[in-house]
Amino acid sequence: MFEAIFQILKDEDSLELIMASYQLLNELDKRFPRVYLSNKEKSELESPSTAPVEVVVVQEAWSPFSDACSGREEADKNSGRSLDPAGFHLLIQDLAKVADEAKSDASESKMLRNMLLLQYLVRVLEGDFIPRNFAFKENTNWPLLRESLPNMLLGSRKIIYKGLIKDCLSVMCEISQFHTESSDDMKGPEKASCVLNGYGSAVAIALPEVEKCTCTAIQKLLLMIMDLDASKKIADLQGLTTRADGVRTPAAEIILDELTYNIDSLSPFFQVFDEPKWKLEIILQYFRKYIAKPSLRTRRSSGSADDTTFGGILKSFSDSSSTKSIIKKISGEVAQILLAHAFQAYLSLSSRHSVEGVCGSGEDVQDSSLVEVCKNMIAAFTCLKRTDVHTEILPLGKEALFTAATILATKS
Amino acid sequence: MDEPLDFESEDLFRTSPVPNKKRKKVIGLDDLLTDYYKEQSKIIEKESKQRKGKKMREIKCEDEVSLWGLQIFGNQKTPPRLVFPELGSCVLLEFFKDKKINSLVELDFDKGEVFLESLLVNGWLLKLIHAVGHVEEPLAAWAFNLMLYSSKEVVMASACDFCCAILSSKSEVDSPQIKTDWVPKYSDLKGALETYGFVLGGFSSSTEVVHADSDSGGPPHNIRAWIKYVTVFCQVRNFYSIFSTSEAEDLVVVIILLFLERRLLGLSASLYNCMLSVISFFTENEWHTSSEEVAKSIACRVPCDINCLRAVGTVSGVDPRSKHLRSRVAYQILLTCFGNKVASAEEILRLLIAINVKDKDCDLSKMYMYLVLTENWLLSNPMLEENSVICTMWGVYLRNCSCQISSTDLRSHASKIRSKASYLLQNSSNQFG
Repeated sequence: MFEAIFQILKDEDSLELIMASYQLLNELDKRFPRVYLSNKEKSELESPSTAPVEVVVVQEAWSPFSDACSGREEADKNSGRSLDPAGFHLLIQDLAKVADEAKSDASESKMLRNMLLLQYLVRVLEGDFIPRNFAFKENTNWPLLRESLPNMLLGSRKIIYKGLIKDCLSVMCEISQFHTESSDDMKGPEKASCVLNGYGSAVAIALPEVEKCTCTAIQKLLLMIMDLDASKKIADLQGLTTRADGVRTPAAEIILDELTYNIDSLSPFFQVFDEPKWKLEIILQYFRKYIAKPSLRTRRSSGSADDTTFGGILKSFSDSSSTKSIIKKISGEVAQILLAHAFQAYLSLSSRHSVEGVCGSGEDVQDSSLVEVCKNMIAAFTCLKRTDVHTEILPLGKEALFTAATILATKS
Repeated sequence: MDEPLDFESEDLFRTSPVPNKKRKKVIGLDDLLTDYYKEQSKIIEKESKQRKGKKMREIKCEDEVSLWGLQIFGNQKTPPRLVFPELGSCVLLEFFKDKKINSLVELDFDKGEVFLESLLVNGWLLKLIHAVGHVEEPLAAWAFNLMLYSSKEVVMASACDFCCAILSSKSEVDSPQIKTDWVPKYSDLKGALETYGFVLGGFSSSTEVVHADSDSGGPPHNIRAWIKYVTVFCQVRNFYSIFSTSEAEDLVVVIILLFLERRLLGLSASLYNCMLSVISFFTENEWHTSSEEVAKSIACRVPCDINCLRAVGTVSGVDPRSKHLRSRVAYQILLTCFGNKVASAEEILRLLIAINVKDKDCDLSKMYMYLVLTENWLLSNPMLEENSVICTMWGVYLRNCSCQISSTDLRSHASKIRSKASYLLQNSSNQFG
């Protein structure tokens, strides 16, 4: 039954059937999860701290990913109904391709279908990964995580892992750019009236929303992979992994490389990538590559830790000589974009701070107070402007500055 | 263990059309092509191909998914002009004038609103509000209006995110994180719908407007933001007294009607969430009478044809309230179909049993409709298990439908009724027999 519905979502052209099958699959998954944590009912009876977390895997449950993922590579080639890892990659590639083509009605509905399909698949991956990863954090059960769908998927020989990450990035950038462009178009009187007359098609009205959700889905996919990397690293350190686990470049590094070589993608990527913790982390890693290591490492132990926090990065923009050296390596514009986005991520983290505990880069938030960071933000931009007279402050930079200054003004 | 039965049955209904349809499509296409070529043999090859595609699509629709669809949206009205002189009085905007800040940003105060818009689009405004913890009235109203009336996709979407974030910041923690001086009234939301061209009742269900690809009017893209906002709005009842109960009832009706607009088909996932959110808005006490009101209102607005089946089908949740509402709506529509002359459940079933399906003049498409309505009415309703009279009558009715129609009956809908009834019969005998 699952298979038949999935088939409809995969191949059908009618919007009604696409929507219905998409919704039905999601509902079914909600009702019959493949993997879940069993402690929820228990914890009400016993005290929650002693209740062991147990991951229940429903073995016989249907999965949209074919068995090829689960190690039996040659198992059944003829099934065709579910998706193999290569098919998954192809789907993302298609999205990256279609996004920059001119849009016709037919391609629009195909795109809509593929996007929904991707959203569903990412949800399946997530449903599989999150409980397992949660359990891993509790009891470092690596084999359980090793068997998770994302790990299987990425480990598959049919997939070019780096290509996958790059394609993810390009989908995000394409969609983000398309959105900003289309908004500019609408400013023209012609297009505006066209929108007012409602340009008809039921697909067209749904598409922007679906595109947005697709961006979120891809972001989730990337986050999942990065979380997987992090867990794997822990498992590595504890000697839980074996040679069979293979070696994989952390996704964050690939993203970083891609952003470095493809400066144009920097701004659109950060525009849509809004998970603050990883966003800040990626930006900090970016800076770390280019900021000269303080030569006086011996002076204070905290000196070396300085450039691992946002406050630390801001400090390296506080005097003109170090600012100059940074601008030489990365342009002033890139520095502005990075600073602005890092500031945004920082603000998100600090407003969430009260709710969540500390994890990883969460230390940044405590490291320096909000007021301090705002002051340093302004100082950094002033320094940027002074050091390089030719660079204009970007609109994004101005917005960041205004935000920082206003927060300062209201807090003092 | 047998509990999720009606859930399973739903799946079957949705999936079964597929092979069925494909088979019929093949037959239909052949017939059609011969007719078609006889008539128009002179038409250029290219053109004929296009037509063929179109006709194929029509056949596909005709059979199972049929031609539901109402034109809920008429002509749009002129949206209000997006001018906000009060915006200048915002304390937040005072900072534009602040010399120290302005020397950094070098802003033209006249362009304050443009700058504010870019703050909104790039997410800074929300961060600012989070830090300040307070939204002033002009600012909230400004964002709200941009969300509903801006023709720029990005502005609309960011304004929607902004407005929703302000609302839901309260539902997470007990103490409100963001204080808002202004929340919209129901009339603001309803007014926006009317501007989009929404007509409550009296809409045409002519088949010409049914096709999603025929473009005449239709709501602007802002309807998406509207749906999203309403979804969030209904989740924060505890913090604001937003709607009265009758307004919320009205809202449920509106959402069911939106489902009937083919041009919003692509939004059905968001509409579904919105529906769940709105029906969970009611308190337990209100729900009993409110669901009744909603059902009555729907029954007198939706024509008794394929559209009323769609209307029942749109309440597709599997939670108790959705089921309850579905049952209510189906019941009220049945009453309307019989001209409101019947007074009780038994009477309806008696009438249904009395229909002779063997009769050549019997309108089988109506029969099929009754069958589906009755199914939704009874099976989403715990009453069936308790009331043995109803239960027996339902059984008789199903047997009528399944046994009196022969498998060779070629009338349209005949096989559909037959197979559905026998399937239901099998289920109910499993359950109660």
